[in-house]
Amino acid sequence: MQEINISDKNFEQCQKCSLCETVCPVMANNPAYAGPKRSGPDSERYRLKNGIFFEDSLKYCMNGKRCEVACPSGVKIADLIQQARIKFSTASPKLRDAMLASTDLMGPLASGFAPIVNISLGLAPVKGVLDATIGLDHRRTLPKYSSRTFTSWFRKHAAALQDSFPRHISYYHGCYANYNYPQLAKDFTAVMNAFGYGVHLIEGERCCGVAKIANGMTEAAVRDAKANINAFRKATATGRDIVTVSTTCTMTLLEEYPELLKVDNSDVKSRIKLFEPFVFEAISSGIVKPVWKEGFKAKVAYHSPCHQERLGWGIFTIELLKMIPGLELIELGSNCCGMAGTYGFKKENFKVSQKIGEPLFNEIRSVAPDYVACECETCKWQIEMSAGVSVKNPVSILAEALDLEKTSELNRA
Amino acid sequence: MIKFDVIVIGGGLAGMTAATAIQQAGLSCAVIRAGLSLSNPSRDDFVKAGGRIIFDKVCDGVFDGSVLRGVHTGKLGATLLEARVFVLATGKFFSMGLAADMDRVYETVFGLDTEYEEDRSKWFGASFSAEQPFLGFGVKTQDGLALKGGEPVKNLRPAGEILAGISNAGGDASETIRNSALDAAKSIIELCRK
Amino acid sequence: MANREFDVIIIGGGITGAGTARDCALRGLKTLLVERDDIASGATGRNHGLLHSGARYAVKDAESARECISENKILRKIAANCVEDTGGLFITLPEDEDSGYGLDYQKTFVEACLDAGIQARIISPEEALRMEPSVNPRLIGAVAVPDGSVDPFRLCSANVVDARMHGAEVLTYTFLDSFIIENGAVTGVRLLDRRSGVVSEYRAAVTVNAAGIWGQAVAAKAGISIGMYPAKGALLVFGHRVNNVVINRCRKSADGDILVPGDSVCVIGTTSTKIPFEECDDMRVTPGEVRLLLREGCSLCPSLSSTRILRAYAGVRPLVASDSDPTGRSISRGIVCLDHESRDGVKGLVTITGGKLMTYRLMAEKATDAVCRKLGLDRPCETAVTPLPGSGDGRIEAVSRRFSGKPTAGQKAAAGRHGDLTGRIRFDSPDDGALVCECENVTLAEIRYAVKELGVTNLEDLRRRTRVGMGTCQGSFCIRKAAAALAEALGDPSLADKLAAEYLEERWKGMVPAGWGDTLREMEFMQRVYKTGKPYSYDD
Repeated sequence: MQEINISDKNFEQCQKCSLCETVCPVMANNPAYAGPKRSGPDSERYRLKNGIFFEDSLKYCMNGKRCEVACPSGVKIADLIQQARIKFSTASPKLRDAMLASTDLMGPLASGFAPIVNISLGLAPVKGVLDATIGLDHRRTLPKYSSRTFTSWFRKHAAALQDSFPRHISYYHGCYANYNYPQLAKDFTAVMNAFGYGVHLIEGERCCGVAKIANGMTEAAVRDAKANINAFRKATATGRDIVTVSTTCTMTLLEEYPELLKVDNSDVKSRIKLFEPFVFEAISSGIVKPVWKEGFKAKVAYHSPCHQERLGWGIFTIELLKMIPGLELIELGSNCCGMAGTYGFKKENFKVSQKIGEPLFNEIRSVAPDYVACECETCKWQIEMSAGVSVKNPVSILAEALDLEKTSELNRA
Repeated sequence: MIKFDVIVIGGGLAGMTAATAIQQAGLSCAVIRAGLSLSNPSRDDFVKAGGRIIFDKVCDGVFDGSVLRGVHTGKLGATLLEARVFVLATGKFFSMGLAADMDRVYETVFGLDTEYEEDRSKWFGASFSAEQPFLGFGVKTQDGLALKGGEPVKNLRPAGEILAGISNAGGDASETIRNSALDAAKSIIELCRK
Repeated sequence: MANREFDVIIIGGGITGAGTARDCALRGLKTLLVERDDIASGATGRNHGLLHSGARYAVKDAESARECISENKILRKIAANCVEDTGGLFITLPEDEDSGYGLDYQKTFVEACLDAGIQARIISPEEALRMEPSVNPRLIGAVAVPDGSVDPFRLCSANVVDARMHGAEVLTYTFLDSFIIENGAVTGVRLLDRRSGVVSEYRAAVTVNAAGIWGQAVAAKAGISIGMYPAKGALLVFGHRVNNVVINRCRKSADGDILVPGDSVCVIGTTSTKIPFEECDDMRVTPGEVRLLLREGCSLCPSLSSTRILRAYAGVRPLVASDSDPTGRSISRGIVCLDHESRDGVKGLVTITGGKLMTYRLMAEKATDAVCRKLGLDRPCETAVTPLPGSGDGRIEAVSRRFSGKPTAGQKAAAGRHGDLTGRIRFDSPDDGALVCECENVTLAEIRYAVKELGVTNLEDLRRRTRVGMGTCQGSFCIRKAAAALAEALGDPSLADKLAAEYLEERWKGMVPAGWGDTLREMEFMQRVYKTGKPYSYDD
C-alpha cells in the first residue's frame, strides 16, 4: 500500500547520518555555514511549518552538490537549499551580484569595449575601486573579455560551411565561450567538423541562468530557462542533438530547470549532451574515427569539477583522454576548487574560496602536470590564478591531439 | 560501453576490500557506489593501484541467460558498464542493498532471491536491546554465487552485509565482512586467471 | 518534613488533573497534584493534538459541539503558544455519495454546525485545494471550519507551571498506594514514591480522581465501582507536515478520518477498539491498524502514501458507562463528574472523567466547582479568562525578536515551544546555543531550562517538553548527546547510558509497527549507532 518513499527532493529519505557534512567544502572552511544536513533536510521540516525558520546563512552554500553525490539516501540536499533560497530569501541582489549574474548582459557590453575593459580590470586602482564599491575582491584575477564574440566570428567565418557535413549537431556555447574565451568554441567547431559534424548555433540561445539562480534573480533565470527550452525544441525538431561544453551550464539545463525553476525540460532532456560523453559514445560505437597526431606528448592532470561529479560523466572524459596516444593522465583527487561560479568573486567569500581550493592547488603543484584538464570555466580561473598551472578544456586538448585534417578526411563520408 | 575485468557494486567495507584485492592482483576493477557508506573505508590503495570509483547508482543488469553481462546506472544512461565478473556489496537496508515494504524484503538491483521472515511480526526482537532478526536478512547464495529465480547467476558474487546472516549493526562484524569480501575476491582472481 | 496537609489532592497528571490543579490553585486552594509517571504521559500525550472546532460532533452530539467551539475560542486566548490556527476542512469524496454521506449530508452537517455556533462555510473543491494543496484532488465538496492544532504536552505543562506558580505542589513518579478512609470519608492518601520506595501520608478534605482510564482502579481503592471501557485509539506520525490545514472527512465519524498538522509532523488517526484493562499500560499498534490508518489517510491526502511513517502510537479513551444503564451498553462521551458522597456515600472524593482534551478546562472547572462545594467555598472560576504562562504573545515571530542579534534556529524553535516564557531560557555561556537534537532544533540551553524549571528527570520527560528525539531520526543521531547533556544537567553524568537505553526502548516500540522502507533503514542505523558504539568512521 505504501510506495517507496518519495518526498519532494527525497528529503524524507534523509537518515541524519551526516555523511554529507564530511564532503561539504564550505562547512569545513566557514563556521557561519551550518552545513548541508542542517541547511537542507533538517531545516526543511521546520520551513514547512513556518518560513521564519529560513536562515540567511543558506547563502554560503556554493551549490557544488558534492553533498548530493555523497548522500547514500539520494537526498537532493543542495536543491533543497537552493529551493529554500528561492522561496524565502528576501535579500534583493546587490549591484555587484546582478553584474556577476548577468553574464549575457555584461558580456556584450564588455566585449564591445574589451581592450579598455580588460586593461582597466587588470589595473590595481580599478580593482581597488571595484573591491571597495561593489565588493569584487581585489586579489582576484578577473576573467578577460574577448573583443570579438564567438558568434560573430562563427557567422562570418564558419557558418556557411556547416551544411556540407554528413552529420549535424546544435551547439549550446554558453556565455563564457562566447564572450570570454571564443577559442574554446572555435576548438569545438574544429573538432566537431573534423568528426564530420556540422555545427549549428541555436536560434535564441540565452545564458543558462545558473549565476542568476545563485544570486537570487530567479525570475530572470526562469525567463532564460523558458527561452532556452523553446529554442531547444525548435533545434531538436530538425533532428539534431544539442551539444554543450560547460558542465555547469549542462547541469543547469538538465537538472536545475525542472528541480529549481520548475521549467519542464522533459521533452528535450535526453537530447542535451555534454561534449565528452557525446564524442566518447560516437568513437566507441564506431560512428566517428579519430586520427591522432604523431608525437603528441603531454602530462595532464584531470580535475573533475563539482558539477561534473554531480552529472557523473567524468568517466567519459577520462576514457576519452585515455584514448590519446602520448597523453599521460593523472586523475586528481575529488576536491572542490573553491570558485563555484560567481561565489569566489565576492569579497566576503574570497578567503574561504581560497582555503577550500588549497588541497587541490597543492595536489596540482605536487603532480606538476603540463596542464590541467577540466570541463569547467570557473575552475579554470581559480586554478590558473591559485595553482599557477594552465587549464584546458578537453575540447581544446582534443583539438591539439587530433590530426584534424586526416580525421576530417576519414569522417567526411 | 565501457568494459572492466571486474565491477564491484558498493563501496563500503566489503566492496572496497574486494575491489582493492582484485585491482592489486592486476585485474581492472571499477567500484560503482551510490554515495558514501557508514564504514567509509580508505579508497587510497585501490585508487593507487589504478582502480576506478564511479559515484552512481546501479539501476539494472543485462543478462545473457544466467550470466550478467553488464549494468546500467542512473547517470550513464544507455552506456552499459560491462565486466567478466561482478561483486555485489550493496549492504543491507541503510545502504539500500535491500529494501522492505510492508510485506516483503527484496534485493534492489537485480531482484535476487532473498532470505527473510515472511511474517512481519518476526522481523524485530522484543525490545531495542534484543537481537533483531531483520538484521540477518539477505540474499541467498549457492557456492558463493547469487541466486535469481532459484538459479545461480554464474558471475555474480555477493559479499559483506548483503548476505543473509552478516550484519555490522548488531555488533562489530568487520572481520566477518572483510573475510567474505576476500573470499569473493580470491575466487574471482582465480577465475579470471584461468 | 514538608507539610502534608492540603485542601485538595488531585490524582492524575494528565491534562484533566493538571487543569484541575491549576483551577484549584487559582481559586486559592492548597493543592497537591499526584502523577504516577510524568505529566501528560497517558492519553493526554497520545492523541491527535486536534483543536476541535466541534464540527465533528455537530450532527450527533450538539452539546459536545457547543462545548468544543466554546473551549476552542477560550484556548486560543489563554494558550496562544500551544495552539496553532491552521483552520480545518471537512471533505466529501465521490465514494461518500454511495454510503449516504454525499453533498446532501454536507448540508445537514453545515446546518448542525451553524446551530451549534460553529462558523462552517461551504467552499468549492478548487478553493479547498488552494487552501490545502495536499488534499485529495478527487474531492467533490468541502466545508471550512475553525479547527486548529494544539500541543497537548505544552498545554499540560503550562497548566502545571501555572498551578505551581500559584502555590500547588506537584509530585510525579508517585503512585497512589491507598486512600486514607476514616468514618466513611476519604481524608487523605498514602503515596508511594516510585524512586525511593517510601510510602507517605498526605491529607486533604477532598481528593479528586482525575486518572483517566486508570480512574476505575483509583475508585476501586476507595471501594467504589465505576464502569469504564478502555477504547484504544491508534495513530501514525509522518515525517513532515504534509498538510498545513486539518483535514477531516465529512461523514459519520469513523477510523482514520482526521489528519492534523502538529509542529514539524502530521498525524493521522484514529481507531477505536475496546481493549482489556491489562493492555492499557503497554499498547502496541497492530499491522491491521497501520494498514487501516494508512488507507484512510491516503484518501484524505494521497501524498501520505509516499511519506515516511516515523512511528505509531496509541492512547486510551476513558469511556464511562452511564450510571442509569447498568448493562454498560449506553456509553456517555460527555464529561462525567461524580460526587461519590451522593453517588456512593463516600465523602471527600470526586471523580472527573469522560470528556476530551478539548474540554479539559471545562472538566477542571466542573471538578473544582464540586471541590469548592464540598469545602463550602464560593469562589468563581477564572481559568477561562486568565492566560496560561507562555501565552502572552506566543507567536514565534514576537518571541524570537527578544533575543539579541538574529535568533538562531534553536532559539526560534524554543520560542515556538515555550511562548513568552522563552526569555527564561538563558543563552549566556558559549555552549548554550549548541544544538543537541538537530531534527527538532533543541539546544543545550533548552535542556538546562527544562531540568531547572519544568521538572524533567529522564529523556521521555524531556521529549514531552522539548521534542528532543521526536524528529526524523527518532534519536538515532542525537540521543547519546542528549543523554549526556541531561545527565549533566541533572548533576550525575554517570546516568547518561541508562537514560539513553530507556529512551531508545520507547522509540523502538513506536518504530516497529512502521518498520519498513526508510523507517527500517533508520532502525538499522539506530542499532548500529548504539550496538557497535560507532556510527561510522572517516578514514579518508
